Amino acid sequence: MELKLTRRDFLKSMTMVGISAMLINKADILKALAQAKDYWHICWLNGASCSGCEVSFAQNADPDIVEILTSMTVGESGLPIALPDYMQVIHPTSGSLAMEFIEVWKKASEKRKILIVVGSVQNPGFCEIGGKDFRDLLIETSKVADYIIAFGSCSSFGGIPGAKGNVTGAKGVSDFLKEVGIRKTVINLPRCPGHPDSLVSTLASVMVGVIPMLDNYGRPVDFFGMNMHSELCPYRPFYDRGIFITKPGEYPTSGDGCRYKIGCKGPIAYTDCALRKWNNRVSYCLEVGAPCLSCSEKEFPDGDTSPFWKELPGLPLILNAPVEVWGSGLVAAAAAGCAIHFARKKIKKKEE
Amino acid sequence: MPEFSIDPITRIEGHLGIKLKIERSPALKNEYIVTESKVSGHMFRGFEIFLKGRDPRDAVYIVQRICGVCPTPHGMASVLALDEAFGAIPPPAAILIRNIIEGSSYLYDHLLHFYTLMGPELGILTAHLPMVPPVLGKEGIKRLNLGSHYSSNLRYIRIANEIQAIWGGKFPHVASLHPGGVTVKPTLDKISLSIARLVPLWEFIALVTMEDVKILLSRNERIKDVTENILGLRVGLENIGVGVGNFLAYGLFPEPEDYESDWLDPSKRRRSLFHSGFWSKGSFSPFDERKIREDVKNSYYDSPSGLHPSVGVTSPKKDKPGAYSWLKAPRYDGEPAEVGPLARMLVTFGRRWKVERIHPITGEDYGAVEYEVRNPNGSVLDRVVARAFNLMLIANSLFEWLLDLKNYLDKPVINYKDVPVTASGRGLWDAPRGALGHWITIKGGRIERYQCVVPSTWNWSPRDDRDVPGPGEIALTSRFKPELNAVWIPTMSVPDIANAVAPDLEIEWPAKIKGWGNILGSALTRINPKYARINMETATTREFVNSTIPLMIARSFDPCLACAVHLITPSGKELVVEVR
Repeated sequence: MELKLTRRDFLKSMTMVGISAMLINKADILKALAQAKDYWHICWLNGASCSGCEVSFAQNADPDIVEILTSMTVGESGLPIALPDYMQVIHPTSGSLAMEFIEVWKKASEKRKILIVVGSVQNPGFCEIGGKDFRDLLIETSKVADYIIAFGSCSSFGGIPGAKGNVTGAKGVSDFLKEVGIRKTVINLPRCPGHPDSLVSTLASVMVGVIPMLDNYGRPVDFFGMNMHSELCPYRPFYDRGIFITKPGEYPTSGDGCRYKIGCKGPIAYTDCALRKWNNRVSYCLEVGAPCLSCSEKEFPDGDTSPFWKELPGLPLILNAPVEVWGSGLVAAAAAGCAIHFARKKIKKKEE
Repeated sequence: MPEFSIDPITRIEGHLGIKLKIERSPALKNEYIVTESKVSGHMFRGFEIFLKGRDPRDAVYIVQRICGVCPTPHGMASVLALDEAFGAIPPPAAILIRNIIEGSSYLYDHLLHFYTLMGPELGILTAHLPMVPPVLGKEGIKRLNLGSHYSSNLRYIRIANEIQAIWGGKFPHVASLHPGGVTVKPTLDKISLSIARLVPLWEFIALVTMEDVKILLSRNERIKDVTENILGLRVGLENIGVGVGNFLAYGLFPEPEDYESDWLDPSKRRRSLFHSGFWSKGSFSPFDERKIREDVKNSYYDSPSGLHPSVGVTSPKKDKPGAYSWLKAPRYDGEPAEVGPLARMLVTFGRRWKVERIHPITGEDYGAVEYEVRNPNGSVLDRVVARAFNLMLIANSLFEWLLDLKNYLDKPVINYKDVPVTASGRGLWDAPRGALGHWITIKGGRIERYQCVVPSTWNWSPRDDRDVPGPGEIALTSRFKPELNAVWIPTMSVPDIANAVAPDLEIEWPAKIKGWGNILGSALTRINPKYARINMETATTREFVNSTIPLMIARSFDPCLACAVHLITPSGKELVVEVR
């Protein structure tokens, strides 16, 4: 297919008219990377993290990480297009030389510096790298970064280290930058861990000059625009028919059921896990009989998102009747749809 | 005395720095050796604090986030602790499914360490090109085999994690573990999808990794020729990173039919794939959980020393006189103990190991691999080889568990129990990095106390109440005699050493270059000229010193700092909180 516009211009024009145009399939991503002729500089910083996001990123399958690191080369140079200047978990160097590579990144060419952050930002003194407080390192790098991507729930919103009762003041990158007066857009790619597709797509999109359309929480709508329960869940028909798993691991005689009663937080989760799935699309939490933890949401792991195995409080009744009643043969699809829409509106808290 | 530090240590989990004192050793032709080491963790999150007051079942999910590299074993230790607290013995199908999830997590984790984390140094030092990162890109892989195993490994760890995801929903952070069993149904399609993935994975481990081990063993002899030249002493990888000689394992991979008679009592565990036990200087004794104590004399805590973790108290005191570490010092029967793959192998099989390589589908026999432990006190070489043997043993067993599961297709996967009001439990398991224990106390249906003693705390512990150093500290210093543990700090650069190891290695592409160090140097500096100084640090004498050996020693333990410092505070901040 021949486009008269270059693909880059085409994508740009789509963003201009407000259409989010993230690159979400392999062919688009490979094309984008092939077009981005120059070396892109990536600095990958870990704050209060568990390294699960790096491990998750390495599970990317389409294209896979080997393809990204070895075959996406810059022109004739043979150099990988997006080899991180600094990435603690896999960096070839250690010690002072590793720290120098952060400086190399800081001096890299304009408009080609991407900062990826995993892990949350804590009060001073709780996380140090090479003798520097992580906060200072983050301030220095954020100031010169052309794009900032928070990968995973910790760097997006504080995540598990930011759980209620924590003593380190853990928070997300965007909240931290606001606090220290740095006004920059942070692209939040929550979920615990971050989904590799979301990062690869975001990187490829940014490299062709497309900034994904973000929701109120700074999340690309392509990944976080739809409600798990109302719009995506393959177990939704069980809900509508009132067939539930009521004890974890014990399946109804019909074979399967909705996970709502064992604590599924799908109704408050805006994430495309049900479609995208995980680990080369083999499965996701619900498929193994577990509840959705709504790890894509800002209040994870507190607020309505936990206890994880406890039914959500206050999902509205359908026409004043609990859903089981409707399940006993009185299913009115339109009524159910309308009630769930109401539930979504009620539960989705628009803040900021 | 000259000093230098390595901070951050990359290619490990978490934030770790090492400070080393060095001096010239007459025994090694006046080369530098390490005489003192201080290891510090640089990140604190406080899991045990924010777990308090939560629904106990939340723990299985939350503790996995202690470490994204090894979340599954934390989930397993937690779910075992909850099994005990809930009084819920899992049914056989659940035991098999847990083994399958944990087994595939081991394949991923040990492969990740063997190639991605440890491989670069091993590959460079032994001039084994397939284990070096693909610094010359795809062409380099094609023409020179440079980085071929390193890169293909990334595909295989991904496949191993796909098996975890089939049964656990996703990885990292699996979803299907629940007190009393699992939530996932065994189905034929899940079994066959897993086997389809396991076949190529098994082949990679049996025919690539185990062969790489053989190559490392034979190249190790070449290293001794080089060191004999430079140091006047035949130093191989079995002579560096020599540990304390005590090994502890809690066991893992129970068999369903022996679960109640053998597994539930941690002092038995003789029928599981890996046993529990304590192995010291060649003799085995059964594991006794009551012998675990945590000393704090040299740690920044003013809580009582010598407590058992089930009654552990963590009350930090930053300015405690004489203290130098945020890690407590766990001791077994008063002794420091090394944990990890080597401990599992010694406790289960003693010093002589043999693993079969019979293709699970075709039945073709590729020959057993045998090994006799070179250094009974532990060494870089023995740890690396032990990890590979763990891989092969688990890959073989995974097939058996998957096939066995076919007998339980319609059987229950859970023995469901409600959350108890008051209860306690312990989860004793082995993570890839070693013995992992979780202890939980439940009160009013909520978590009252949660304590974890993780492998990296055992391995990186500071001195105890008797001032006996921890296993990692011992391995990092030539504190007795350099002949017994040669922690050599060369002033030669990495390419210089590589040239000494393989001076005749020659390539024709991308240019004609002779000498392994010259080849490596030119490849690295194409990416950035700074890479010529890889692993070089500046000592207080302003000399450039090569940190490769301490880095290898540290990595041979596969340190996981996120785990070790799940509660450890960093330098410079007093934390006023008491966790009981």
